[in-house]
Amino acid sequence: MMTRINQLPTLRVDPTKKVVFDYKGKDYVGAHGDTVATALYYNDVRIFGRSLKYHRPRGLYSLDGECSNTCMEIDGIPNVRTENTLVKQGMKVKEQNVKGSAENDMMGFIDKLDFMMPAGFYYKTMHKPASIWPVAMKQIRKAAGLGVLSPDFEMPGKFDQIFPSADVVVIGGGPAGMSAALASADKGLRVIIMESRPWLGGFFDYRTFDYRDENYKNNKQLYSRARELASKVESHANIRVFTHTSVVGTYTNNLVTGFQIGKDNDKFTERYIEIRANAVVVATGCIERPLIFENNERPGVMQVGCVHRLARTYGILAGERAVFSVGHDLGLEAAIDLFDLGMKILCVADVREDGQNPHLMIELAKRNIPYLKGWVAAEAKGGKRVKGVVMTTLDGTISRDFDCDLIVASAGFTPLNGPLTLAHAKLRYDSHTNFFVADKMPEKTHAAGRMLGLEDSLSIEASGVIAGLKAALDCKLMKESYGNSDVDALKSEIDATVAKQKELPGPARGSKFVTAPVKGRKSFICFDEDTTIKNIRQAIEMGFDVPELIKRFTSAGTGPGQGGIPGHNLPLYVAKYLAASGAPPKPTTVRAPLVPTLIATYAGSKHIMMKRTPMDDMQRADGGVFRKIGVWERARYFSDDFSCKKEIENVRNNVGMLDGSTLGKFRIHGPDALKVLQRVYVSDMSKVKLGRVKYSAMCNDDGCVIDDGVVIKLAENDYYFTTSTARAGATIEWLRYHTRFDGWDFYVVNLTDSMGVINLSGPNARKVLQKITSEDVSNSAFAFSGYKEFMVKDTIPVKAMRLGFVGELSYEFHVPSSYMVSLWNMLKDAGKEFNIQNFGVEAQNVLRMEKCHIILGQESEQRTNLLDLGLGFLWDRTKKDAKTVGAVALRQAENDPTRFRLVGFEMENNGRAARDGALIVDDKVRGYVCTARDSFTLNKAVGMALVESHLAKVGTRLEIFEDECGGERIYGTVVPMPFYDPDGTRMKS
Amino acid sequence: MSLTITCPICGKRNGYEFRFGGEDKGPRPDEDSLTPQRWCEYVHLNECVAGVQKEWWVHKDGCGSWFTIHRDTVMNVEVAKPEADR
Amino acid sequence: MVEIKRYSPVAFKVSPKRVEVRDNWTVVLEYDGEGQGANYLVDLSHITRFDVQSSNLDAIKPFGVTIPQGLCESNLQDGLLINRMNGIQASIFCLSGKKPEMPSESSYTETTEVGMCMAIFGKNVFSITEKLTSLDFMDPAKKTPFLYQGPMSHIPCQIITLSRDGEKCGIIFTASRGYGKDMTHAIMDAGAEFGVKPAGEDKFKSWLGSL
Repeated sequence: MMTRINQLPTLRVDPTKKVVFDYKGKDYVGAHGDTVATALYYNDVRIFGRSLKYHRPRGLYSLDGECSNTCMEIDGIPNVRTENTLVKQGMKVKEQNVKGSAENDMMGFIDKLDFMMPAGFYYKTMHKPASIWPVAMKQIRKAAGLGVLSPDFEMPGKFDQIFPSADVVVIGGGPAGMSAALASADKGLRVIIMESRPWLGGFFDYRTFDYRDENYKNNKQLYSRARELASKVESHANIRVFTHTSVVGTYTNNLVTGFQIGKDNDKFTERYIEIRANAVVVATGCIERPLIFENNERPGVMQVGCVHRLARTYGILAGERAVFSVGHDLGLEAAIDLFDLGMKILCVADVREDGQNPHLMIELAKRNIPYLKGWVAAEAKGGKRVKGVVMTTLDGTISRDFDCDLIVASAGFTPLNGPLTLAHAKLRYDSHTNFFVADKMPEKTHAAGRMLGLEDSLSIEASGVIAGLKAALDCKLMKESYGNSDVDALKSEIDATVAKQKELPGPARGSKFVTAPVKGRKSFICFDEDTTIKNIRQAIEMGFDVPELIKRFTSAGTGPGQGGIPGHNLPLYVAKYLAASGAPPKPTTVRAPLVPTLIATYAGSKHIMMKRTPMDDMQRADGGVFRKIGVWERARYFSDDFSCKKEIENVRNNVGMLDGSTLGKFRIHGPDALKVLQRVYVSDMSKVKLGRVKYSAMCNDDGCVIDDGVVIKLAENDYYFTTSTARAGATIEWLRYHTRFDGWDFYVVNLTDSMGVINLSGPNARKVLQKITSEDVSNSAFAFSGYKEFMVKDTIPVKAMRLGFVGELSYEFHVPSSYMVSLWNMLKDAGKEFNIQNFGVEAQNVLRMEKCHIILGQESEQRTNLLDLGLGFLWDRTKKDAKTVGAVALRQAENDPTRFRLVGFEMENNGRAARDGALIVDDKVRGYVCTARDSFTLNKAVGMALVESHLAKVGTRLEIFEDECGGERIYGTVVPMPFYDPDGTRMKS
Repeated sequence: MSLTITCPICGKRNGYEFRFGGEDKGPRPDEDSLTPQRWCEYVHLNECVAGVQKEWWVHKDGCGSWFTIHRDTVMNVEVAKPEADR
Repeated sequence: MVEIKRYSPVAFKVSPKRVEVRDNWTVVLEYDGEGQGANYLVDLSHITRFDVQSSNLDAIKPFGVTIPQGLCESNLQDGLLINRMNGIQASIFCLSGKKPEMPSESSYTETTEVGMCMAIFGKNVFSITEKLTSLDFMDPAKKTPFLYQGPMSHIPCQIITLSRDGEKCGIIFTASRGYGKDMTHAIMDAGAEFGVKPAGEDKFKSWLGSL
């Protein structure tokens, strides 16, 4: 265990609060506030895992999770980024992709075999002959890859989502982001600030040493300035702070998505956040651009920020003897600060020829830290961890060895442009900052801070203020509610702030791309995918010249960290290698999610929203087997006999009750109501009579049937109509769509959920009904296709229809949903002596099939028109003025011999029913089976099929092909429809 | 996902509250002397503009009204009515 | 003999403490353990609602109350909540709990049974709703009461914000009746971290009275 520096004012850990966790079966102790990575490092763990391909040892590198080096398995969840995960009491941590241990990985020898694996070797070597691949694949999968997930893995934890509202979203909680948030919020706007670390402060948070101190009143140090800003932000009524929240996506129209990691007291493990803002400020800052040299990812090689933050934020000195090889002032600052904290700095090499801050040079000199200008690290020494380094001049002519346990290496900075590019900003390479900068910003989006190349702290804050004010202006210009009165004042405030910022230092000159003068066989450009610069060179030599394609071919930047490590170096390296072409560096494409995100987080609280009928509880109690059918949960069966023999026979012989509440139900009224019906229904709806039920259908513009149902006239221009269950949601939309140019005066009310529907069917149905009403329900008083309204027990209003979908004497009662259970119970009570039973959707399906009544979607598909189904009799050809939807197409299809026909068939030789969807074939596909069942009523297997018209004649033999039939065909014969009660006596008497 | 649409009743909302109703092609043609060709074109032929087009949307999860907007099909964003159409 | 009863699509997992039978509904006036000052969810599915549609909506004064002129504006007066849904349509909620006589004009349709209806009120209401919808209840451009027609937990709803004022914050919403069970679950689940509790009609009435 290391010693922690406990007294730093910048600390974000509380060493007095111990956190005990388990690493490989042993207890380790970290401090409250530690990440898993820092806690392990504190416990002397240096090798966190092994790399994907070469099984090279990997350790702490950036501390912000930009690469897979420190991905581990935590509490059974693989590939957790330990640098971004706070350590918790009792956590179980394991290394991954090792055979043995990370310290002694038996697969480590692969590192020596890299010569066998040039760029693209998977593509080139593993496919000739083709039979090699399955074998090779197994071996590769065993050896390569990171975490392992078992197929029955269930994600622990609670995941949910929020959709907060905001005017301005600020991405990044550093000095620029905080300044922007305050500027916008002070203008009365609602601001959300998102910061990926668990605290606000960003780039200022860990810095005490600053040569710019004199810029602040009272010589404030940067970290205390950060805390001052943070407390202002956190206490501002208009600002909502999301810390430990990574932004994963930004989109047009200022949509920002991200996820928050739950803190100790939060009720969630992770929470997906989606914000639609009016303006966005991106102040994501920079990460470091890795320095490329031999073994540049050896445990013990770290970036400047990593070492500096380990010390300042976590109180851990990463090593005892350090060599610095850097390309920017922050490297010098870190060396000075770490020296003061007790680290031995053997030397600081700087790739820059000039441009160093003179204050820092003086401070280095004061401390007698050797400074090597124009030098760079060439090779890290040591097998499993750094034992030394070879330093060299840039041209490679002079070199020097150092014994050290830490190499602090950083070539320069890389702006975190992801949120800008995802929102379609166009990037251009800026030769002053050596950054990719946004040329054209997305609408109402503003960048601020270090990502613009600013290094001066006051300038960074000013840029935040400007971005915040501009975002405020965007909001005020688009939202009347904020009043336009102060827009002019705001504009001049922006101008004044911009003018003031101009007096401060502008974007700093960035360091040029430099690589050590080495061959690059073990110089890694991408750690996740084990891609070396040698691989990149190989790809270029094979003819790839665009970074995007080289990325694909070498897989550099396709790992969990995406562009974090290679994102900047790859285009720079390619441009340098192809310098002759003169093309500027081109960035590779960035895609969401910007940081690895758990699928569970996207799934959120995963509520499944289903509709239930008023009968739901009772039908479940009655043994209903429920299925999700469209938006509804419906009772499909009432026993585990899915052929529904008993349910069917009871309807045919006694009486049954079905819950049909899912039917679409509507009222349409108003002066033009009839016109609307004439437009959408194929029949002449002016002929609908009071007290009668009219069955009709709706077609689409191709004449294809989309819906069928009944229409009842309540009064002049006042109708009640039903639609199929599936169409209920889209019916009003359909009516309005097809009348949108007409300006008709009509009103529709969706009553689907307000009415429960009881279908009472069977030869005893009338006897049951008569018992609960004094209404005359005799066949003459309430005949087939009749409609009646009556009250049951003077209380329950019922709309009753005499229908016959299942082919028996049958009533449909539409009753207010709240009363449905009561009416159902009355019928059930009344029907007891007739053995009344439930029947479900499947029984109904068989019953109506025997009667050859169609169900749209079963006896039809998208291309099936009214005539194909034999429903042409519904169509009234005379109402041309109504411009009935589908009529034109029907007229055109009327004499088309190529259309399918709906036919009934029975299976040959008492065979079983063909499966729904089986194909009708000869040497070609000639149709398909819509519904077929073994009919208990008819004692044979029957069904309906859509077939080519030449097969539609009664007596035609149908050859039926079923999936996985192994070449065996079954046969059916076309027979007349309907199969059951062809003259309708049972239904009508 | 990022598309927003401005409903004339409810204001600017997330795109997924709406359903697309096709390009604006004007009212249904009269049925007299309507050729199959002309009809098919009305129903199925689309301009598929890469740029700004006028199109129908319905606020299915909201007020249920049908209306037209102009949308830049390349960037998939709603845009103001072009000058020419005003 | 089957007893005639009306059932709400919403059921809570707490036992009612006091109930009242009204027009065959068993209206819960108070649930066990309601306490004070929590965030409350009240089932109002029994309250009478109407849909009124007319091309001349301004000429109609349902039960003597004016229909608001502006789109998506609401009017709460004498226990009657009227919401302007669009140019030709308004919804009416009879929050007083009394069932008014159905107006005889054909422009009215009773819609009590079309939807489940609930109220949520308490200081964290909008922290709960933001877990279920992206609708911006705190939009400064809106004045309470106002109507949103939009999705909550993916289901199209009419949501009326009655108050955005601290402890009094609250909304009333309706969604298709069939979603009663799943919607209740979604809200209770989203509200769990804020201690949302089912409450009876009395709690609702005292909240309504406080507005």
